Amino acid sequence: MIFLQQLINGLTYGSLLGFIALGYTMVYGVLKLINFAHGDVVTLSAFLSITFIPLMGYLGSLATAVIILLVMTCICIAAAVLERFAYRPLRSAPRLSLIVSALGAGMVIQNAIMLIWGANPKVFPSELIPQTIYHYGDLSVNSLSIVILVLNVIVMISLIFFIHKTRSGIAIKALSIDYSTAQLMGVNINRTITLVFVIGGAIGALGGILIGASYNTVPFNMGFEYGIKAFIAAILGGIGSIPGAMFGGILLGLVSTFSAGYISTVWADTFAYALLIILLIFRPNGIFGEISVHKV
Amino acid sequence: MKNFREGINKLIAAAEEFSQNFNLSKFIRKRWMNIFVALSILFAALYPNFVSDTWLTIGATFFIFALVALSQDIVLGRAGVYDMGHAIYFGMGAYIFAIATNAWGLNFFAAATLASFAPVIFAMLLSAPVIHLRGDYFLVVSIALNIIFVQALNNNIFEITGGPNGIFGIYPETWLGIDFTKPKFVYYYAFIVVLIVVKLMHNFDNSRYGRAVCYIYQDELAALSMGINPNLIKLLSFAFSAVLAGFAGVLYTLEYGAVAPEIFKVDQSIIFFAIVIVGGQGSLAGVLLGTFVMFVLPELFRGFAQVRYLVFGLAMVVFMILRPNGLIPTKYGFYPKKLFKLKGD
Repeated sequence: MIFLQQLINGLTYGSLLGFIALGYTMVYGVLKLINFAHGDVVTLSAFLSITFIPLMGYLGSLATAVIILLVMTCICIAAAVLERFAYRPLRSAPRLSLIVSALGAGMVIQNAIMLIWGANPKVFPSELIPQTIYHYGDLSVNSLSIVILVLNVIVMISLIFFIHKTRSGIAIKALSIDYSTAQLMGVNINRTITLVFVIGGAIGALGGILIGASYNTVPFNMGFEYGIKAFIAAILGGIGSIPGAMFGGILLGLVSTFSAGYISTVWADTFAYALLIILLIFRPNGIFGEISVHKV
Repeated sequence: MKNFREGINKLIAAAEEFSQNFNLSKFIRKRWMNIFVALSILFAALYPNFVSDTWLTIGATFFIFALVALSQDIVLGRAGVYDMGHAIYFGMGAYIFAIATNAWGLNFFAAATLASFAPVIFAMLLSAPVIHLRGDYFLVVSIALNIIFVQALNNNIFEITGGPNGIFGIYPETWLGIDFTKPKFVYYYAFIVVLIVVKLMHNFDNSRYGRAVCYIYQDELAALSMGINPNLIKLLSFAFSAVLAGFAGVLYTLEYGAVAPEIFKVDQSIIFFAIVIVGGQGSLAGVLLGTFVMFVLPELFRGFAQVRYLVFGLAMVVFMILRPNGLIPTKYGFYPKKLFKLKGD
């Protein structure tokens, strides 16, 4: 029973990481940049929804959907602005400058959140997503976990469909394979990169809201930890691969939860990070990653 | 609205033109270099005599951080390994010194030697299995190692790190009447060590090994074909850098008399990383200026503690946009002078 309970918890946590990891993996696929600000953008979505939740009374039966869409729109705009001002001017600059710019942008967002909403963790109102807990003997399943898992599968499938079947999706794919050739083929680079950030932001926003709903409190500085774990999940699955990000997230979630449950709570992170290091030693391109050959 | 946009664009263009044409490194390197360096050294030597205790601490911390940043620069700026876990070696030095002094009762010299050289062994052991990873993969691994390191400190590993509170009251025995923890002593000690290290690193750049490091940075495959073993050289640069970071840890412990896991978190590593990139990779003056900009300037704004990090982050973005290669970039500083002439300048 404990095993099943841990399995459900791990799957839920892993799916949440997967939502964030998708944003990392898409941006990395196109720009070869670890978007360190993404974790903080995700945090921003949780805080924005806390602010918008009092509006629910005026919205009637579709309130939850409207609020989530509203937050996602705001985050899409924020992600596009982030790309425009922190990353686009540096597109031809050395890679390390881009990393520092990303770290700086993350710091700006994190501290802006602290200044606006205060330094104490905020309580996430539970009325946004109604939850019921089902009991089967010792096992208790939160309806939210089921929602998260289902959404996870839906998002992954629709994203794969989008990337492989639509014009914009193919443009993203082309850009991640060869930057300059894609440009020669008439792909609008700026628009496509903005699109990648917007999609990553939208999925991240969904993840941020679900994190808030599942853990009830959101500290302003949770972005870095979730961000780094999600990026590790993306690497575990093979960076640039969309199912890889989701499975990497679930793998990392399961390892964290099981090591916390069966071995030690205080060392749980160590096991998760040690998994990454060991995997990178033996399989440097991740589980789903293609083997890349370093050419001259 | 259109006029406004045009105005903004003109302003950005002017700023970009200025930042491209104004070559700070050339300006400093030419005739004013020597005078400027002499004046800075004189200023730094006299500094403790006319400032308050707070500013003396800030001065000493500046040199300690500069030492860590210089050591980070060996790995990141010269060898080109994306290491974002440098606080590990800094923290190891500090913790080993604290434990050796308090728990094992070693005297200052034995403790300081142990604290400088033990991180070397850890640096080699930790990075040897992952040194072959490229770029961002190494970056993430180093972050992971740093988080594991802080977690080990927090969990009071081997019952000697003191858990989340760390270790307090570290006072090494006096030797020949020298009190090692006296603020002025620590300041001058750190100052002299930084001077020596700057000279050492200047020599290092012109040494056989230093050139091998910079060839790796420029082109790893070409260096490999020239008979340089990139992974070995990278490991050695880690070792060299861990000595300096470990010793900076000793100085830190002397200055503050306490160590805690909080100080050696990834956030600290990020600051060292940013110092090197904002200052200019592989440039000694750049790293010192970077430390000044990233550490001393925020101290000036301590009164606005709330907004401080917001401005700090904004500054990181703006610096990178205006000077993507750092405040004082090394354009040719990497190459030995005769090679530079051969290129037909």
